[in-house]
Amino acid sequence: MSTHTKSSLVWRGITSAIPLFVPALPFAFMLGVVVTEWGIPSLLGWSSSPIIFGGAAQITLLTLLGEGASVAAAVSAALIVGARHLLYSVSLAPQFHNQPRWFRWLGAYLLVDQMFALASIEKWQDSDDFRIFYLSAGSTFWAMWMTFTAIGIIVGPVIPESWGLAFAAPVLFIGLLAVSIDRWQTLAVALVAMVAAVALAQLPNRLGILAAALIALLVGLLLERLRR
Amino acid sequence: MTMLSAIIVVGLGTYAMRALFLVTLSDKTFPPLALRLLEYVAPAVLGSLVISMLIDSEAQVALGAPELAGLAAAAIIAAKTRSHVLALFSAMALFWLLRWLA
Repeated sequence: MSTHTKSSLVWRGITSAIPLFVPALPFAFMLGVVVTEWGIPSLLGWSSSPIIFGGAAQITLLTLLGEGASVAAAVSAALIVGARHLLYSVSLAPQFHNQPRWFRWLGAYLLVDQMFALASIEKWQDSDDFRIFYLSAGSTFWAMWMTFTAIGIIVGPVIPESWGLAFAAPVLFIGLLAVSIDRWQTLAVALVAMVAAVALAQLPNRLGILAAALIALLVGLLLERLRR
Repeated sequence: MTMLSAIIVVGLGTYAMRALFLVTLSDKTFPPLALRLLEYVAPAVLGSLVISMLIDSEAQVALGAPELAGLAAAAIIAAKTRSHVLALFSAMALFWLLRWLA
């Protein structure tokens, strides 16, 4: 039995999603920068928003393809970036146990970082309540991502190149890198990745990017084995 | 055409990773080692990507003082505040200020 009215749940979903969109804004805007910098057709660049619906994977894929990476290398790197979604899927599976099949298929499409955060904060007693809240927050988030990536792509070419806005891409990513470092092991893995990327930069088709990430992951695996 | 197929493949792959456990309702979980390995994906991939964004096609790193200051500021602010948004805006502000002064 539902304990909330439907409209209050919808409203709660919308108001929970909006502030969480702030961290996604730089990604939306960066997509515009990347699409402009590499001369990717606007609509093609934007199509990654509904098709992939994941900022980091979209930017990784388009940046690497723009830089001249082989399709296989760019696709693998973007998929590795998205590997955390497996974790989200595992940890939210219990919440989806009593849900209808259509919602499990649709809910998976909406499962971005922020939706994972929203869905795992609270233990929902009523599965109908959870479904309404999740759909409301998820579709708000979806609509905002579609709108703001479109704005980013439209505004991108208008900004003069002399502003040096393309530099915002490495700045955003080095910030994300710093946030991902939480102990000496993750720091070591990041440093290995950076050194390996410099050392392997001459490899054809920008294969060095993928190779460096894989080498660093192996070092991480080794460090984890040593810990036990 | 190639780019559209690449986008579609990444879209399908990302969806498959999101859907795997939600749709199958599998009670299976990852071995603990695999879970901990996932924690290293972000530093490994982001470290490699940052370098790729900073080097040109001749594999040379060409950065002036404003760029270096901006990158350092972004790393430090993000590490201290855990906010990539704050880091981005303050580092870009510093970058533009230094370029304007130069």
